[in-house]
Amino acid sequence: MIEVKGLTKYYGDKPGVLNVSFSIESGEAVGLLGPNGAGKTTILKMLASQMLPTSGTIMVEGIDAVARPKESARRTGFLPEIPPLYPDMEVSSYLAFFAGVKGIPGKDRAAHIRQIMEMTAIDHVKGRVIKNLSKGYRQRVGLAQALIGFPPVLILDEPTVGLDPKQIAEVRDLIKGLSKDHTIILSSHILPEVMMICKRVLIISGGRLILEDSIENLEQGGKTFTIRVKGPAAEVAEVLRATPDVAEVRPVDSQPSEDDGYSRFMVSGKVGNAVREEIFHRLAARDMPIMELRSVGNALEEIFLEVTA
Amino acid sequence: MYLIFKKEIAGYFSTPFGFIFMGVFLLLSGIIFTSYNLLGGGGDLNGMFGLFSNISFMIFPILTIKMFADERRYGIEPLLLSSRLSSTQIVLGKYFAACAVFLAALAMTVVYVVMLLIYGFPYMTAIVGSYIGFFLLGAAFIAVCTFTASLADNYVTAAIASFGALVGLVMAGAVSRSLPIPVVSQVFSALALTRQYDEFIRGIFRPGPVVYFVGFSVVFLCLAIISLERRRLL
Repeated sequence: MIEVKGLTKYYGDKPGVLNVSFSIESGEAVGLLGPNGAGKTTILKMLASQMLPTSGTIMVEGIDAVARPKESARRTGFLPEIPPLYPDMEVSSYLAFFAGVKGIPGKDRAAHIRQIMEMTAIDHVKGRVIKNLSKGYRQRVGLAQALIGFPPVLILDEPTVGLDPKQIAEVRDLIKGLSKDHTIILSSHILPEVMMICKRVLIISGGRLILEDSIENLEQGGKTFTIRVKGPAAEVAEVLRATPDVAEVRPVDSQPSEDDGYSRFMVSGKVGNAVREEIFHRLAARDMPIMELRSVGNALEEIFLEVTA
Repeated sequence: MYLIFKKEIAGYFSTPFGFIFMGVFLLLSGIIFTSYNLLGGGGDLNGMFGLFSNISFMIFPILTIKMFADERRYGIEPLLLSSRLSSTQIVLGKYFAACAVFLAALAMTVVYVVMLLIYGFPYMTAIVGSYIGFFLLGAAFIAVCTFTASLADNYVTAAIASFGALVGLVMAGAVSRSLPIPVVSQVFSALALTRQYDEFIRGIFRPGPVVYFVGFSVVFLCLAIISLERRRLL
């Protein structure tokens, strides 16, 4: 279990993270989303005890990560965005070194490393020098390093960035498999990846926690489509807002092109087929034909764009 | 500490650095031995060790430029600093590995002593004293370079800082002799490592210079540990 309260980090006088609080239950897989510079990596580094906060508390599996960072770090395995690898070492030597660093007893080390290499499917490259591996395999070696000691918490910062589609699928499957036995905190720009692996999402922007909810809730509450109608914008908006189960109507263009007689809106709410039919009939009754109606493909994406705008 | 020591030794010889250091060291020693002893007919190693003390500032930075720069460059340092290893273990492991490579290179020059023994009657006390003194001098230089490397984020900065620090220490002796200002010249004299080393070449073996070199190394290693510890607390 991870408990974060009032987490704040300043770089000099510039705020990196401001008063972030959240908790993660054991065995949960949580996604950390946010634009570049939002503070995601700063939060992950503080959770992994690689950086001290300016203020706030972090409890990892009951250990105060600020007061006892080394003890807390033993409970976490951290894979940074760029895996921390010695390029001139062989894979097996690298893992043996970190097994020693993390305190795996000498007599158990070989078996432990063998098990981790099998889990991450890198046993067939154990004798290769790391700089000669592909990016996907280097990512796996970095993940293997994070798994040494089987920490209960895995913290992964953009684990699939820079990989090709096949490598992304392989690493993603690997992480999904690990999520059964570990608490996972995953930061990513790839929203489908977060939806595939995580049950809950934290959206960070400008160093603050903007939104925290389960993916299931976000998906159900966030059905949206865009609609382009021939008619005056004000009248069209009135009809749309009056339709039952429509929660929000927003003009899509900042300056609707009324000169050509068309107006475009984003409509959100519990807008299933019945509501769309109702909108059709209401607009038809006012002689305002629908020129285009398009679903917004990903509710999480639209929420992300909206809250981080 | 042994974990770091073992990794560093392997690192010196899986990259060019260890080979470059030993190659340059042995090349310089070979040139000096050839010109002073084989061609010049000298029966001792005073010339070699004397010249070495004045040019060693060029070669010791090779041993230390990647000491911390690699781990910073590849993002490994935060992992080590948040592990069970203390800053002291990390610094000492790296320091002793560098000293071990230096000792290995120095040990290879024993072949010159063998040649002197075969063809002459060298003053062994002075030779043994020179080896001990030069090892202590080298260990002190490596400690200084360990500290300057602990402050640097990349090879170039580490090299320039180490080179500059060692040039300063080698020149301190000459500066202290030419400066008439009492306190300042004494400070420079205290920093003049090579002056303390001169006694060893003459076969004078006193505890004072040994303690001086060991103390000098300890001070700079402590500074390196403090420097690393400050990075942990960021």
